[in-house]
Amino acid sequence: MIEKIRRRVLQDPLFGYFLIIPILVWISATLFYPLLRAIYTSFLNIEFLGETGRFIGWDNYARLLGDKEFRLSFVRTLVWSGANVLLQIALAFFAALVLDLEFRGQKFIRNWILLPWVIPVVVLAMIFRWMLDPTLGVVNYVLQNTNAVSSPVPFLGSVDWVMITAIFVNSWRWFPFYAVMILASLQIIPPQLYEAAKIDGASPFQQFCYITLPHIMPVLVPVILICSLWAVNVFDMIWLLTRGGPGNATQTLPIFIYQKGFQEYRLSQAATAAVFMFIFLLVYGTIYLGTVTLEEK
Amino acid sequence: MNRAKKFFQNLAKYLAVALLVFIIVSPIYWILVCSFKPTRELIRVTPTFVPHTVTLFHYVGLLKETGFMTYFLNSIYVATGSAVLVVILTSLAGYSVYRCRYLGRRFFFNILLAIYIFPRVLLLLFLYPMFARLNLVDNLLSLVITYVGITAPLNVWLMRAFFTSVPLELEDAALVDGANRLQILFKIFLPLVAPGIGAVAINSFLMSYGEYLFASILIVSDRFKTLPVGMAQFLQQYEISWGWLASGSVLIILPPVIAFAFVGRYFVKGLTAGAIK
Repeated sequence: MIEKIRRRVLQDPLFGYFLIIPILVWISATLFYPLLRAIYTSFLNIEFLGETGRFIGWDNYARLLGDKEFRLSFVRTLVWSGANVLLQIALAFFAALVLDLEFRGQKFIRNWILLPWVIPVVVLAMIFRWMLDPTLGVVNYVLQNTNAVSSPVPFLGSVDWVMITAIFVNSWRWFPFYAVMILASLQIIPPQLYEAAKIDGASPFQQFCYITLPHIMPVLVPVILICSLWAVNVFDMIWLLTRGGPGNATQTLPIFIYQKGFQEYRLSQAATAAVFMFIFLLVYGTIYLGTVTLEEK
Repeated sequence: MNRAKKFFQNLAKYLAVALLVFIIVSPIYWILVCSFKPTRELIRVTPTFVPHTVTLFHYVGLLKETGFMTYFLNSIYVATGSAVLVVILTSLAGYSVYRCRYLGRRFFFNILLAIYIFPRVLLLLFLYPMFARLNLVDNLLSLVITYVGITAPLNVWLMRAFFTSVPLELEDAALVDGANRLQILFKIFLPLVAPGIGAVAINSFLMSYGEYLFASILIVSDRFKTLPVGMAQFLQQYEISWGWLASGSVLIILPPVIAFAFVGRYFVKGLTAGAIK
């Protein structure tokens, strides 16, 4: 009988649409409309904000790809994202393995590890700018007093250091987020597997390769995808730490687009770069999911 | 031999824990300590790791002489508004993609996840003229509308993870009692996913509270600025005051930390459930 009622009540497609339509309308206005406008604008020649522009086909794209500043910022985006993913996943792994151990206060730390993620980026940027300052910063004080360096390190002031510094600061904010997800997947590995492996004489490294890694793959695959997509998109942290400088040393694509659009008011150029970035992420995401086969449940 | 080995294992374990805690806490400890130091101690060449003198001087100055309170209230308004709207939209949509069967369900869910690939700057480029036409530039509503659009889609995923934990027998029981779908959603599912509502609320609250990019462009006049923009600006405008920087940072951090203390564990739970389901 319950089957009958269930079929009668639950099989109502209109109800499902009714519940999901509000959010679809909302994101159509705030996400899809800007995307379509950007694609449209990338085929116009709006040299200055406020002009109507005229259709010029693929010219903007050709010009963009010929622009050395753009090409460099694209390469920087790849370096920035790659390094961020590696560092964040490595730190997240370390944190997840530590939090998987039994120790006093473990429950508390498992929640509060997200503290860096709770703090607004603008505050983090200010704190780190201060701490890393060559003259007033505590980090340089400690480094010099322990004789680790002889003169202050210009963490944010030199072209050689700034990218590395920004990558570390950004990773510090995000790694706890992924640590929580990796920890979740570590916890559902049956402990009997490790016991059996120990009896068979497997080394800790072998245990990691043959038990841990395969089990966390279903989580690690999407985590790495999300992590890289977010890294490419980072604007706040870089902008507030360095404004893209010194020189153009930390000018990644979002910074490039922001500068073109809101400082030079070259709307078509900014839109073209943004659409390029969107297509790049789309292609990357598709290839990634296509290559790394997700285990079907 | 065995006891020595155990001792070293324990030592290594607690060293690893201590290292992790140090990585997380040290910058926050530093800013907290500095906010209570008097100015001459702040700019000393040899920094003090525990303040010699404790003062509220910078806090008082910050609240009296800057627009901090205005920015603060604007941020709270925007963040609360976004959180409420996101909770409403995502609890409906989350239930829809989990328990309803209709054509395009999978497609809608995938679209919501694909929001990851939208460059934020791209959105901003064309949301600005859109809001300008609607006369919403320099209006906090434009921020609420934007933040809901950006944060809602991913929270559907989080919400769905919580819905899956509701036992379906309860639904059956309600069906036998003659409940309709709306009643099932509001009387069975929503009360049971209260933790999920908390998780989604804190997630969107935090994101909206600290957002800088959109707030820096969509808001023009000083009295509508939110904390991230207002703070970044007055630190550049005046001769930089380290004391204000420190005390301001602590005050900005406070509301999200308090909110996280109440519902943070639900967010962690949701992230955990979402990761392995």
